Amino acid sequence: MLRYTLRRLLGALPTLLVIITLAFLLLHMAPGGPFDGAKRMLPQIQKSIEAKYHLDEPLWRQYLRYLGDLARGDLGPSFQYRSTSVNEIIAQGLPVDATIGVTAIALAVVVGGAVGINAGLRRGTRWDYGTMGFAVAGISTPVFVVAPLLILVFAIKLHWLPAGDWVQGSLSHLLLPAIALALPYTAYVARLMRGSTIEVLNSGFIRTARAKGLPPLLIIWRHALRPTLTPLVSFLGPAIAGVVTGSIVVETVFGLPGIGRYFITAALNRDYTLVIGITVLYGALIILFNLLADLCYAWIDPRVRLR
Amino acid sequence: MSAFRARAAWASIACLLAGCGSVDPSTTAPGLPPPPSIIVGTTLAVDQTLSRALDDTPRSLDPHISTDVQGQRVLDDLFEGLTTVDVAGKAAAGVASSWETSADGKTWVFHLRPDARWSNGAPLTARDFVYSLRRVVDPKTGAEYAQGLAAIDNAVAIASGEKPTDALGVEAVDDHTLKVRLSGPTPYLLDLLSQQYTYPVYEPAVTQYGDGWVRPEHIVSNGAFVLRENVIGSRITLEKNDRYWDAAHVQLQRVVYYILVDASAQASRFLAGDVQWTDSFAANQRSWLRSVIGDQVVNSPYFGTFMLGMNLQQPPFKDNLPLRQALIIALDREPLARYMREGVYQPAYTLMPPLPGYQLPVPDWATLSTEARHALARRLYAQAGYSDHHPLRVDIDETMLDAGTRHFFDAVAANWRSVLGTEVHTDEREFKVLLQDLQLHKLALFHDAWIGDYPDPYTFMQIFYTGNGNNHCGYSNPKFDQLIDAAGQEPDNGRRYHLFEQAEQLLDNDAAFLPLYYYATRHLVKPYLRGWQSNIMDRNLSRYMYLLEHQER
Repeated sequence: MLRYTLRRLLGALPTLLVIITLAFLLLHMAPGGPFDGAKRMLPQIQKSIEAKYHLDEPLWRQYLRYLGDLARGDLGPSFQYRSTSVNEIIAQGLPVDATIGVTAIALAVVVGGAVGINAGLRRGTRWDYGTMGFAVAGISTPVFVVAPLLILVFAIKLHWLPAGDWVQGSLSHLLLPAIALALPYTAYVARLMRGSTIEVLNSGFIRTARAKGLPPLLIIWRHALRPTLTPLVSFLGPAIAGVVTGSIVVETVFGLPGIGRYFITAALNRDYTLVIGITVLYGALIILFNLLADLCYAWIDPRVRLR
Repeated sequence: MSAFRARAAWASIACLLAGCGSVDPSTTAPGLPPPPSIIVGTTLAVDQTLSRALDDTPRSLDPHISTDVQGQRVLDDLFEGLTTVDVAGKAAAGVASSWETSADGKTWVFHLRPDARWSNGAPLTARDFVYSLRRVVDPKTGAEYAQGLAAIDNAVAIASGEKPTDALGVEAVDDHTLKVRLSGPTPYLLDLLSQQYTYPVYEPAVTQYGDGWVRPEHIVSNGAFVLRENVIGSRITLEKNDRYWDAAHVQLQRVVYYILVDASAQASRFLAGDVQWTDSFAANQRSWLRSVIGDQVVNSPYFGTFMLGMNLQQPPFKDNLPLRQALIIALDREPLARYMREGVYQPAYTLMPPLPGYQLPVPDWATLSTEARHALARRLYAQAGYSDHHPLRVDIDETMLDAGTRHFFDAVAANWRSVLGTEVHTDEREFKVLLQDLQLHKLALFHDAWIGDYPDPYTFMQIFYTGNGNNHCGYSNPKFDQLIDAAGQEPDNGRRYHLFEQAEQLLDNDAAFLPLYYYATRHLVKPYLRGWQSNIMDRNLSRYMYLLEHQER
């Protein structure tokens, strides 16, 4: 297991290098530079700024310089937010996104999982159709609709919860964004778990267990639950990597200091270092959580052996 | 839930959902009960904490690096220049309490307040200004707005790397006297010196911490407030600076700027009572907001013009004056502004927005009846060589600002189609791509806008000067340049304004660009927030504001 993990982690390095190289090249190929503004500046000033950020060097040298800095853990200065480094931006934003994201995923797994398994067990009943109807609605309702509605009801009308802002450690500030973010995931998890429950219940080993005369609850608990979780684990790996790096919609609507918005704004601003920084971070997280998912398979499914 | 509340709830749902769409004004017709009343007292509120919504994260809190409006708003609270702006947005005494100017208007002497201090208690002297102004024009600083100091002797030469920084025309006569030499008479100097890029910065902090000097733990400033917290993308918290020279008159103890990029989010935070002032609201939500919160919706003229640029160096606009005139004259600006922008903005016929003392040279065609104007436009269109069989085919190149702007351009294209029979379409491109294409003069008909840096015609007129970096149309007329040069040497403001009026007349005669509408400020303001006035520069310093006792029902 340890050897397997180490091998996977080492194998991730070339993948990350490809991600960095592609991001670097694509950004530099895009028209317009980070310091092109609506108002023109004097050429000497432009030159001085470019020299400061090494934009005057040949591309290959900028690339090597970036890799060198990255190896030391330095993601460089942000071009858009001058006087701030990309490390600072991520250090400030990632915990916010991670808190909201993990809460949302936990909500989704607990609520969606319970609802989905229940629907799978009571297939074809009113309970099944009712909850699955909600799930379809949940998947189809975009966050930019849910979030303002939550604000409208719980902040503007009822004054129960704040309409936005972020206070570290404050549950009331966490609740609305986490729910808004969790809703589509909950619905997705519910549908996933329903399908997986039905499939497992129809499989041979469950029939054997029934034939042995085990009580239904014990069958579910001992034999059905673990294999049911397999599709959930493959879904959760990338999903967690996605939510902890932030959602631009939730961040914008609630005015949260996350990093999700930079996936778009930094690219539009040609903030090279910030874009590459968060892309590398996202890539690394995806690799990490996929690895964790694979490790989980071994625990869930006795047929899986990691070598 | 009362009937009103239920209706308001559904109206707000509709509006929040619309987000970037538009709300049909007819659904917000009169007949709704008056907005929930807020009872405002006459005494100061106990908690003097002001929460303001800010449109975006400031790029930097270094006043010399900052280039954006958001940065200016925060820096106006943190720092103070030789001059500042009063509650009406006009230049007023700042760190300098008085000044005198030489007869030729080229030398100014500023007398600094002896009680002016930095937030760490150190005295603020003329030498600090010498250091700071030199820092702005030093190419090493990389101040994108260094050109703003062009009026000061040698500023451009230094910023271009041709002269050392100590050649700048500023000199500390003693601790409290600063002499400024100008390259020409500059009647707007006092306005210029209230801009963020002329603010003093604290040399020991800059030297010690480099780029990081603007962090809350290192920054030293000299304005009415000090920086306590700066959470990128979320909020900036300021606290009253007790060492500020006029601290006795500053009522607010704390100012929190919440960064809310989405105008709808600003509105919902305002309605939830989290912020008392917003930087903007979505133009297409104006009618709805007015129906819900009445005159808490504030909109007033702003010193900016929204326009379409025409490339004068390329077909179809090159050497085709009648075509350009036809397009300019054909547009029905009043209904476009009224229906497409909900009357937030006023239709524009000139480059300069209205400015007190300046006679806007409104062109003759603007006063014609709609029919006569359309007939004139059609005549010019035919004269330009176009017809129904051979219509003008061109794209409006615009950037992805917001849906409202795009709809406006679609309406402009439709307007031309119905009056002239043109085939104009809109084409969106990314902002940075548009900027690059503009600089390469690759676009024919494009989205353009200008917001004045200080209340003077020069800030607008300079962009049409031959070879100016912002002259995207590629306009060049020696007579125009002569008028601008003459205005630059004219100390009398009345005569200067007259020269600019003549220059602007030339722009109209040459059909150099296509004015659409003048910008407007858009704020939501709680009725118990006092100490502010709408002004064309849209500068509202927290220093003057205060909160009254109030009760919201």
